[in-house]
Amino acid sequence: MKAEVFIAGDCIISPLGTGSRRNFEKLLLGETAISPIDDPALADHPIHAARIADNQWVGKIRNPQHYTRLETLFILAIQQLIDAHRIPVDERTLVLLSTTKGNVSLLHNPAAQFPPTRVHLSAMAHEIQRYFGFANQPITISNACISGALALSVARQLLQYNEAYDHALVIGGDEISKFIVSGFDAFQALSDGRCRPFDRDRNGLNLGEAIAAAYVSKNASDGAICIKAAGSSNDANHISGPSRTGEGLYRSICEAMRLADDPMLDFISAHGTATVYNDEMEAIALHRCGLSETPLHSLKAYYGHTLGASGLLETILGLHSLRTNQLIPSLGFQHPGTSKPLNVITQPLARPLKTFLKTASGFGGCNIAMVFEKV
Amino acid sequence: MDAPSYHIQSYCMIRDRTIAVNGTTFLKTNADLTLADFLKSAYRQLDIDYPKFHKMDSLCKAVLIAAELMDRTSGPYASDTALIFSNRSSSYLSDNKHATGIFDTENPTASPATFVYTLPNIALGEISIRHQLHSENVFFIFDRYLPEFLVPYTNAALDDKPIKSAIGGWVEIGEHTCDLLLYHIGKSGDIPHTVAELKRIYNEHE
Repeated sequence: MKAEVFIAGDCIISPLGTGSRRNFEKLLLGETAISPIDDPALADHPIHAARIADNQWVGKIRNPQHYTRLETLFILAIQQLIDAHRIPVDERTLVLLSTTKGNVSLLHNPAAQFPPTRVHLSAMAHEIQRYFGFANQPITISNACISGALALSVARQLLQYNEAYDHALVIGGDEISKFIVSGFDAFQALSDGRCRPFDRDRNGLNLGEAIAAAYVSKNASDGAICIKAAGSSNDANHISGPSRTGEGLYRSICEAMRLADDPMLDFISAHGTATVYNDEMEAIALHRCGLSETPLHSLKAYYGHTLGASGLLETILGLHSLRTNQLIPSLGFQHPGTSKPLNVITQPLARPLKTFLKTASGFGGCNIAMVFEKV
Repeated sequence: MDAPSYHIQSYCMIRDRTIAVNGTTFLKTNADLTLADFLKSAYRQLDIDYPKFHKMDSLCKAVLIAAELMDRTSGPYASDTALIFSNRSSSYLSDNKHATGIFDTENPTASPATFVYTLPNIALGEISIRHQLHSENVFFIFDRYLPEFLVPYTNAALDDKPIKSAIGGWVEIGEHTCDLLLYHIGKSGDIPHTVAELKRIYNEHE
């Protein structure tokens, strides 16, 4: 019998504030981090996005001039978890970092204040290791927009199969940069206003910033949530377009549900980027799984698409739903807009919650589905 | 200690201007050939009709070539073959190209055809399409080839699920350099899937 693995603590740094409970409470009040941003350093036109304010991180760590903005945010989130749970930095603690682009904002940027080598993800991992004196070299995962959820799944597997580790810190994060904005712009993937996941009138995504961190342990402490199962499958169809049949996501969900012994799901935390094709693909995949009637939300209209953080960020908020028995509405949804029906949550609802499914999909055709259950 | 319950069914190495499969040279060209031309001649020698190849960046091209050659040796791959890859520089070549374009002072440009390759796992997507692999993908970033991590992780992935095979390894691409070692892991084959064996294979051509 493999050891069960739990999320025993969590932390969020987002434009809505620092601390996961605080973030969760703001979602229940319907607050959104997305606002119009007119910044020539990002784009030559205004965009709608969610950015972390300077006062949330500037000057809050030791030797601040030595660390990039993103490294500082990672360090702050890790410090919070270490302090809250007295996590040792010795060889029994694994550290997993999830990011799609890390310090890429430095690349060829005339305003960059760090050497070009700092753009490498391994350099960022090294800096974070050095700050805390972690015995283990951090394991960095860069697997597009499923990275955050995938890092949780990898951490679980490493804890289950390796006696050398007791617990893991899993941290996901990305920042908005001209690099990212120009790329999504070139794909015509950005919404002209606040995004509308699964809505008839959705027309693209918003970019967002967040750092999400989870303390993963083999011990079920008070309030711990069990990572029941994970399934992951590539679409094998297209490197940038979602599959028309939702093949990879369908297979991922089937696998995760089978491994979790087909539990009753109380809700689904979908990827829901609010691009026309992504949301349609998800509706098809969920329909194929017989999950069209399960209450579902996307949190992208609160935070935007936070890339390497998103899977972890949205999972952590789902954990708070389980702990407090409150469903978060899917902001931005008014009219059904997918070829297969979905049960989109439109009002905050209090009801007993035990189990939820998290899904994510990304460029390269990758997909992941994970089942979480209250202990 | 890693128990050798899995084996290396075939492996491919691309280094300098040489491609070898299971230690046997498939292609060796003049050292002054550019990496792009070298990969193109490998594609020609493969004798496949796959026009998508020409749109790919060098990371994807090198991975596609290696996956094709191993498929001919120990394939066809089962559709649930897990992909567990790693490198140091992520998708640096495409990152560099995209960043150069957007910070150009005369004529800033961003192309979707470049941007889509600014993620390392796109290479996993490319071989998933080519070989119809509906499987789990993970791309790790380390400062060097780290079989000490990859071997136990891959064994755990194979033990955890009904899957019986994986393709894994290291693929580090620079402007002119390629350091690739990929291997097809499964139940058969003569070489045990161990840290020691992979270190030996990785170092024997240095």
